[in-house]
Amino acid sequence: MLSNNTIFTVWQLTKREAARIGSDHSLLLTLLIAPLLYAFFYGSIYTYKEEEGVQLAIVDDDRTSLSRLLAQQIGYAQVTAVFMVPTIEDAKEAMYQGQCQGFLYIEKGLEQRVKTLRQAHVVVALNAARFLPSSDLLLSINQTCLTIGAGVRLQYLQKSEGMNTGASMQEVMPVNLDYRPLFNSRSSYGAFLLPGLLALILQQTLLIGLSASVSAERKKNRVGTWMATARYSLSAALWGKGLFYILLYAVYAYFFMTVNYTLLELPMRGNGWHLTGAFALFILTLIPMAQWIGSLFKDPLLNVQFMAFSTYPFFLITGYTFPLQNIPQPLQWLSALLPTTPFINMYQSIVQAGGTLFQNGYHFIHLLLLLILYTAAALYRLERISRI
Amino acid sequence: MTILRIIWREWKRILVLPAHCLVLLVIPPLLFFLYAFIYDEQQADHLPVAVWDEDHSAVSRQFTFLLGQVATIQLSRQVSSLGELQDLVLKGEIMGAIHFPQHMERDIKSRHPVNVVVYTNAAAVVPAKLIYKEAAQVIITAGSGVILQKFVKTGMDKGKALALVQPIALVPYTLYNPTYNYQQYLVPGLITVGLQMIMIMVSVLLLNYETTTQSREELWRLSKGSASTIIAGKTLSHLVVAWLNFILVAYVIFPYFQLGLPIANGKFFVLYTFLSLACIGIGCMLSALFTDTMLATDVALFYTSPAFVFSGFTFPRWAMPWYDQYYANIMPYTHFLDGFFKIYYMDLPLHYARTEMGYLLLFIAITFSIAILLYQQQINRYRLVIQ
Repeated sequence: MLSNNTIFTVWQLTKREAARIGSDHSLLLTLLIAPLLYAFFYGSIYTYKEEEGVQLAIVDDDRTSLSRLLAQQIGYAQVTAVFMVPTIEDAKEAMYQGQCQGFLYIEKGLEQRVKTLRQAHVVVALNAARFLPSSDLLLSINQTCLTIGAGVRLQYLQKSEGMNTGASMQEVMPVNLDYRPLFNSRSSYGAFLLPGLLALILQQTLLIGLSASVSAERKKNRVGTWMATARYSLSAALWGKGLFYILLYAVYAYFFMTVNYTLLELPMRGNGWHLTGAFALFILTLIPMAQWIGSLFKDPLLNVQFMAFSTYPFFLITGYTFPLQNIPQPLQWLSALLPTTPFINMYQSIVQAGGTLFQNGYHFIHLLLLLILYTAAALYRLERISRI
Repeated sequence: MTILRIIWREWKRILVLPAHCLVLLVIPPLLFFLYAFIYDEQQADHLPVAVWDEDHSAVSRQFTFLLGQVATIQLSRQVSSLGELQDLVLKGEIMGAIHFPQHMERDIKSRHPVNVVVYTNAAAVVPAKLIYKEAAQVIITAGSGVILQKFVKTGMDKGKALALVQPIALVPYTLYNPTYNYQQYLVPGLITVGLQMIMIMVSVLLLNYETTTQSREELWRLSKGSASTIIAGKTLSHLVVAWLNFILVAYVIFPYFQLGLPIANGKFFVLYTFLSLACIGIGCMLSALFTDTMLATDVALFYTSPAFVFSGFTFPRWAMPWYDQYYANIMPYTHFLDGFFKIYYMDLPLHYARTEMGYLLLFIAITFSIAILLYQQQINRYRLVIQ
């Protein structure tokens, strides 16, 4: 049990930290404005969650009812928006100018070939310099061609083999593919990325703000008064300074999970208490980590500059956007030292897939070990800087 | 001569001041090497996928064998129920599964269509799409084989049977990155967005940091009180450093990791110079606007860090709401990226990027004008106080 004296000391430090933040414009911007603005700002990008209307130019050299049907069916897909151009050169130029992400060429004689049971060809050229539009276009066009192909077979079976509709329907596609994307039924990019982005915003603003606060203590020679307020207890100094951030970021986490999730129509499939447990451990781990980082810098400006360039690498090596197993081994070790890595796995499992903390026991223990590691590192550094 | 002295003075400051040296000279090689190294494997492969085979027939084993030949997928285990499958997905042990239903072989032979189900954990959309793409290709091909066999058995000519299996064959040409290589796609983008951030994060200190280092009056004396001379000198010195970072990227990092198109380096250099000037202009403007260096740095960080996401690199701008599209336009990186895609990734002639260069020129003209105006006012106010 904590003594009344310890509680009083921690409370004094919390009040001291709140007063410091209130008088520092930079910390105010980082800790109070940035998390909220970023959350709404980044979130709004993925309001529609999926890309729609990817422009595709079509060159129709066949000009028959079948070629028109093909172009029409491709255009009906939600992901594509088609426009006709007279020649391949025009289509290429439209792609070069960025007016479309690819073009489809329908050869002359397409309908004739299909009617005389000879395979017809349709060429699609895609600009894969951008991944998402080109892969979505290819999937959609492929699907349309397969569907039309099935329609051709259906007609053949009915006309040439004399089958009735029921029998021919059974014969036309003996093996069907049934795709069931779990926990994100529309495979939407926004629904995938937003939860990770919100977690990253929490982590980075907390790390930048708190570490800058610690390095500012060093720059302004206030480590002595910080320790004196903590009655020279290193753990009181660590957790007393951190308590304000724990409370603030707990509120942010709750706000994001309720207000932002509602506005962005993101599903929360897991149990709220399990998510609270994951968030609590995550924020607790970030507190000593931020203070350890801050204690390495004598100037908050250098600290902010350094931390500013950590955001993308931290996110990229967590395995959220690229499977962790395909990242080089040394970076996998580095990734294991970041609280984001176990947290984001746990968070994704609970929020998006409805998992439990028990199913994420491995990640929970991983995060717990990081809490112990960073607490030890922060206490060691606080002891060093309090002696200077 | 004055301008040369300011350039020389600024180079010395870059080497001596940690706030300049760290960002301009230390961070770039470390950060860019790291970005390229992350994607050194270039492709995501061996993604763990389970097989849920309720048929245990020759056909289902044939399908499983074909799926096992795909590099993206690693058939890591067998499951026997949907519950077990979901539990393994939740634990992160598998990223997807393929289900072959009971009596699959019998149904195929007796003209009853069967459904082969592909499950993926779409909460992680990147591996999910890769698994779906590869699994779908195998299942559709195998399904086409079944149709072909059926038509051939009826005595149909093989050519005709093939035409009926796939009446309209789609011939895809995936241009500029045919293998969907992650390293080729992401690393140049990440590095250029990093360069943009580096330039703005340091440029916001060009004018106001002189007060912190107590060298402001000396600089004003050296420039004879001309804001334009100071800004021009500092801009040129930082432009040279930006070029050094260009050499690092185009002639060290890219060749080492076999990235990019060496043939397009000249065009890249021209567009990059426009971006550099636009970034330095924005930095100077903020530096003249905010005297507090910490606040200026935070504002720069706040402004630059969303550039990658808003530029449309990973998620197209046309799919964003209109207000986000407007915001994207007030960042120089957005216009640079549009041009970069054309002249670098697609290796088109430089004139295809003239619109983008026009926008960057607009940034340069506006930001430098405001910076000079604001900074000259500061100098003039100081003169008045002195007099």
